[in-house]
Amino acid sequence: MKRMNGSVEPIPQVRAGHRSRAALILGAVSGSMLLVALGGAAVAGRDPVAIVAPPWSGPGPGLPLGADALGRDVLARVLAGGRDLTLTAIAAALTASALGVAGGLWAGWSRGRLGRAAASAADLLLALPLLLLALLAVVTLPGPAAVVAGTVLGGTPLTLRVVADATATARRAGYVEAALSRGERGGAVLLREVLPAHAGLVGADLGQRLVLAVQLAAALNVLGFGPAPPAPDWAAMLRENLQGLGLNAAATIAPAAALAVLAGSVAALSHSLWDGRS
Amino acid sequence: MRRDGLTVRGLTVADRAGTSIVDRLSLRIAPGEVLALTGPSGAGKTTVLRAVLGALPAGLTRVSGQIEWHGAPVRAPRRWRRRTVGFLGQDPASALHPLLDARAAVREALPRAARGAGAEERALAEVGLDPAEIGRRRPHQLSGGQAQRVALARALAANPELLVLDEPTSALDPAALLLALEQVRRRRGDSRSVTLIVSHDLAVVRELADHVVRLGPDGRDDGVPQAPILSPGGKPAPGGRAVPGGRAVPGGRVVLDAHGLTIAQPPGGAPLLSDVDLTISAGESVAVLGASGSGKSTLLRVLAGLHPAERGRATVAGQALPWPVTERSPAALRALALVGQNPLDVLNPARTVGAALARPLRTLRGLPRRAARAHVRHLLAIVGLPEELAHRYPATLSGGQRQRVALARALAGDPAVLLADEITAALDTRTAAQVLDLIDTLRHETGLAVLAVTHDPAVAARAGRVLRIEGGRLRPHPCSHHRRPSLDVL
Repeated sequence: MKRMNGSVEPIPQVRAGHRSRAALILGAVSGSMLLVALGGAAVAGRDPVAIVAPPWSGPGPGLPLGADALGRDVLARVLAGGRDLTLTAIAAALTASALGVAGGLWAGWSRGRLGRAAASAADLLLALPLLLLALLAVVTLPGPAAVVAGTVLGGTPLTLRVVADATATARRAGYVEAALSRGERGGAVLLREVLPAHAGLVGADLGQRLVLAVQLAAALNVLGFGPAPPAPDWAAMLRENLQGLGLNAAATIAPAAALAVLAGSVAALSHSLWDGRS
Repeated sequence: MRRDGLTVRGLTVADRAGTSIVDRLSLRIAPGEVLALTGPSGAGKTTVLRAVLGALPAGLTRVSGQIEWHGAPVRAPRRWRRRTVGFLGQDPASALHPLLDARAAVREALPRAARGAGAEERALAEVGLDPAEIGRRRPHQLSGGQAQRVALARALAANPELLVLDEPTSALDPAALLLALEQVRRRRGDSRSVTLIVSHDLAVVRELADHVVRLGPDGRDDGVPQAPILSPGGKPAPGGRAVPGGRAVPGGRVVLDAHGLTIAQPPGGAPLLSDVDLTISAGESVAVLGASGSGKSTLLRVLAGLHPAERGRATVAGQALPWPVTERSPAALRALALVGQNPLDVLNPARTVGAALARPLRTLRGLPRRAARAHVRHLLAIVGLPEELAHRYPATLSGGQRQRVALARALAGDPAVLLADEITAALDTRTAAQVLDLIDTLRHETGLAVLAVTHDPAVAARAGRVLRIEGGRLRPHPCSHHRRPSLDVL
């Protein structure tokens, strides 16, 4: 009544193929978005701070997205305005994720009083309003450092909890006990067995931290803590051009869309990675 | 409403690639009847169950066919399951919610009107648990066997019209199985209850079932490749089948010697096992039986260095065996190897079979990378697996194959004693027999000693010596020869 494909159960392979295709597409979208954000300035073709047209001129020949509040090329500014924000967000996400993974592995493994204290401290940190912490950071630190600090304060506790729970479960898994009983040290088991087994989880979590960092960087830049005025920046463009929405909507919508696609594609990629592991 | 019981018409289930897992299956179970689904592992028994319950996992779809309950198609499977179905899964202990204590877990399964007034306590008492002692415990405070019983109490609590048991013979220990089968027998012929049992144990189902449906073509292999079992020397073992006997080699070299071993769970608490004296000679096979929660697995974990011992000392292969694994000499680490019971997590999902086998070859034997890779092929051959498997990830292996890889990994350090913790519990009878044959062959060819913790009398029957944990002591079991669990139970 049932056919078997030799000794292999067919389902997991098929599912893996399905997942990896989704992950590939989302990876391509977020990859190209990152590429635009980081390398856009090189292909902008025009100086993003030069005044080239009357303020808020609509889209026309030579100005596909029109001009902004001071008459600068919106397309050039969008292409050039994502680099610092994205670099800051990536640095912040990597820092927050690395700290969270290291802390989570340790807290989940040690099961001692210290590990529990770390987990409780993380919970306490989560209870504080993140924007308040970020504002506190931004008045004491320069802009990019504040984004890193805010992401660490708001994101590391989440990573730590997730990784600590996964580690505590993995401690009783057969492959970990086998490694321990043949004399492997705790650190080696964590790095060689536990971490690779949860690579998907960590990758997905890194994506979530990146989304948080992009949002935080955008929020702080909108509030005026970003790069100084003539420099192009997606978030600052939102603030500068909002009054001109009726005259040249593209000047506001283009940077908003850039921010949304960046955060959205990274979030979706992270989601598909997580699906692939659960 | 007609009371026709459960009818399955032309059920076909396919995976994403379009391969049929179940092909045009029709069943009918009238009220008061018991139907058993049998077949080798991988034949789609559990898939049929899930399709009947309307809960197929992602990736599988019901292509055609209909499930009818009392003559009408099941339209809202979730509500239907809640009202009519009692279900006991293959791994009942892990199906319990970690935050619900035993009493709450049973309460959840009861219809709202029946809750309270001691109904939960009665359900727990009926499966032989003391509600006063167990009722407030959460799954992590229960032993494996106790958790199985809580899951059983949950399935039976509401006296469901349709009771579904998935592999009760391997999911439950013999005592709990006896309770479950007693319930099934009581339901039989009451002109109300419908019972569906999935089991690979024909002996159990033949006695109990009104109908037996066998899935999968007859004489079909269950997916384990038929490579001849090779002895480490490379020549096929005699017939590759069970080697009779299994007595301790008279005057054999002592490989494991433990004295006055006392174990507490949790460490430092009340002793679970006291003053254990255990001596095992080369080539000997020793089985440890005991009720669930008696400390069988903990004994192995202590020997493997994963759980602290309170008192006692031991030597292995002439080497002192300190209890913490970090203080053991390389020779002592090599001499003991542990194989766990759960094929799902016995291998790291992120490592290929080859990498999983190469690691202990490098750490325990100090082989360089290239030599380790070559030796992986040899290890796979010992456990009767093709060498192509070295490049596979565990997710693409069957349960039996994974357990063989775990065995190969344990053999990598050339151990003197194999610590086997219920290694066949999750395998079907035939695959289990193959794994046990393999271990017997190794014992005779290489003098490997085996200390096996089990609740399966079939495993115990092969052992040269059977010990039993009773009242916190390890004692020789009076009778070493057992029949199949099913026959004992029935």
